[in-house]
Amino acid sequence: MFNATVQSIRIWTPKITQTCKSKDCLNALNISAHGYRCLSTSSCLHGKVVPRKKPRVVHEIAGLEPITYADRMHYVPGLAKPTFPEWDRGWKEPRHYKSPKLEDMPLHKDKPCYIFNQMTNVLEGVRQALWLSKSILIKGLPAQILNLALDPANQIENQDDRVQNAIKNSRLWDTTEHRPPRERFCPSLVHNLLHLCDSLHVTHPELAKRILADKYSLAATWRRGEIVFQVRGQNGLLLNSMSPVPVAAGDELIQSTADQALETFYPISPTIDLQCTHVYQEKNDTGFRADYPFCHAHTLFLMEMGNAPKLYPEQLRAKMLMFAFGNALARAQALYGKEPRILEKPIVVQSVATNGRLFQFVVFQLNTTDLQSDSGVKNLAWVEEDQPLYEFAKVRPLIKKKVVQVPAGLSGYEPNTFKKFLALYLHGTA
Amino acid sequence: MCVNLLSSALRSLSLLGSRTGPSQIVNRSVGPAVDGRGSLTVWRDFITSASQQQNRTQWKQREKYTIRPIGMKKTGGRDYTGKVITHGIGGGHKQRYRMIDFQRLRYEPGKEDQPIVEKVVEVRYDPCRSADIALVAGGSRKRWIIATENMESGDVIKTSGTIGRIAVLANEGDSHPLGALPVGTLVNNLELYPGKGAQYIRAAGTCGVLLRKVNGTAIVQLPSKHQIQVLETCVVTVGRVSNVDHNKRIIGKAGRNRWLGIRPSSGLWKRKGGWAGRKIRPLPPMKSFINLPSVAAKS
Repeated sequence: MFNATVQSIRIWTPKITQTCKSKDCLNALNISAHGYRCLSTSSCLHGKVVPRKKPRVVHEIAGLEPITYADRMHYVPGLAKPTFPEWDRGWKEPRHYKSPKLEDMPLHKDKPCYIFNQMTNVLEGVRQALWLSKSILIKGLPAQILNLALDPANQIENQDDRVQNAIKNSRLWDTTEHRPPRERFCPSLVHNLLHLCDSLHVTHPELAKRILADKYSLAATWRRGEIVFQVRGQNGLLLNSMSPVPVAAGDELIQSTADQALETFYPISPTIDLQCTHVYQEKNDTGFRADYPFCHAHTLFLMEMGNAPKLYPEQLRAKMLMFAFGNALARAQALYGKEPRILEKPIVVQSVATNGRLFQFVVFQLNTTDLQSDSGVKNLAWVEEDQPLYEFAKVRPLIKKKVVQVPAGLSGYEPNTFKKFLALYLHGTA
Repeated sequence: MCVNLLSSALRSLSLLGSRTGPSQIVNRSVGPAVDGRGSLTVWRDFITSASQQQNRTQWKQREKYTIRPIGMKKTGGRDYTGKVITHGIGGGHKQRYRMIDFQRLRYEPGKEDQPIVEKVVEVRYDPCRSADIALVAGGSRKRWIIATENMESGDVIKTSGTIGRIAVLANEGDSHPLGALPVGTLVNNLELYPGKGAQYIRAAGTCGVLLRKVNGTAIVQLPSKHQIQVLETCVVTVGRVSNVDHNKRIIGKAGRNRWLGIRPSSGLWKRKGGWAGRKIRPLPPMKSFINLPSVAAKS
């Protein structure tokens, strides 16, 4: 509950300085910005904000009316302090607004909702994300994407050189210091690689029907059993396309998932680490308007830069899975409505996450929106873990005991990782 | 010069006129009121007593439990008056306090009827104590507890509050009331009163022994060989506390003691009195922590 009175005192304090014309007056008066009285003149307490002590609790006894000094208009020792009714200004003043208690808010509900947002760091990682999205894990990327990766027609000319140049641009040439911070080289690398992939639009004209979107807010709601879950908030960079991503699994594979059981992890509950709230709105929003031409979410790019919170690869993969699932679910509910059903045309959303060196690839296929029960047809998730793009990219070489351990520049480049990245980008263009 | 300063300061103030009404009595305690002319109205009452609170205990006033480590302020052996109360404390490496849940039998709100089963996520060093601590997760909550000797990440531990007719086969790390354990088990994290939280046997490598169970109470031998009698519903953890070789470590140098925050003792030679030297004496009588109704109350 933000009380704007402290702010008004801070605005008021410079007014005294103008009238006094001397900072010593302020010190002599011992007025501080927070407005609490402090008569000590020691330097260690100067400017210190000591939090206000809680006022004495006055118990109300039913049937007894306390005699207050309200009628006398002044303090009388021995009489009780009068309590006046809460004054209502009558109009909305933004600087003096006290928000109501959680129970009084209009969106308050008795049933709690567990929200997965961009600050969530789940304990159980991919297993928890699979349970929440009712999916089965398949290690490795689907066959059609791997074929795309190996197909020589899909290569850029001088691909390896150009990728190495892109890495050197973001890691080595961007700074005069020892190393650029991760917050700088990670997005720079992703944008360079995307630009490189986009240079194939000469041979693949369908690439022109795509657009990148950043800082869009997603909302998707679903129930698993009796518990309400939501995915909310900004995810990362989204590549949208005009045509949907082709289905990665055939019907037999989809039907065979109905026999496999979901993995549980007793004693830990699947709601651990999710934000539990009673004030929520069951919203389903892809983040874009209904008439947006690039309506199909193609690939989600997540950048893990080690701040708020620092995610280990397992947790990063869980985050990718959950947001890919959220995008797919929001799209399904926009197309087919809120009724839980098995989709005849499964929705596929891809995701790439990186911390600047290691890449994680996820292809998520939403087969069903019937997530209430644990049985039945399940969704599919192909996960490719920990693909390094290069081993070291050092501005200055690592020398131990006069022996060069790691040379300066780029070393340990892996061409296969970029081939998979390119394949995921080109997936959908025939 | 001071008089000039004070007079120039007070010149900018204007005393409160008779314009205050009953509606402003409440607002007066919040802060100064600014009237139309823009000049300051002064507070009426001056407090002349200094605050008795120690102004360095704000870091431990947090009520909500969290597993995130909290920054600590060291006291250096000094109390709120600023005087040294305990000598030999000061300096040392910075430490962050991890809130440990000593009340093992704490149910999650809404799940009081289900048994508490938790999984150990990690066991790590705690700078604030000699024992290691373990992060356990169960249901939708995570908490820190004192780790027992052979606890590793991935173990599943159980906490129960029921006392059956037959004694439970105690696994290390599990937590049961004293009445449910067989006589002779090694226990740690002993509660004196049921529900209060563990206060005894928490240091590294320590363990108590459950000696006897006597109609509704249990007698435990502490690591100092003292015996105490507590109610049998007090919950204890089974096994020895972790970091068993703690007493065998060698400090090695004065600097390591300083890193631990131990300042050197006074170098002045003082003749030792009656307190020094080995004493061989019988154990004190058994202390009982059961609040039985007094004889006067019964009659």
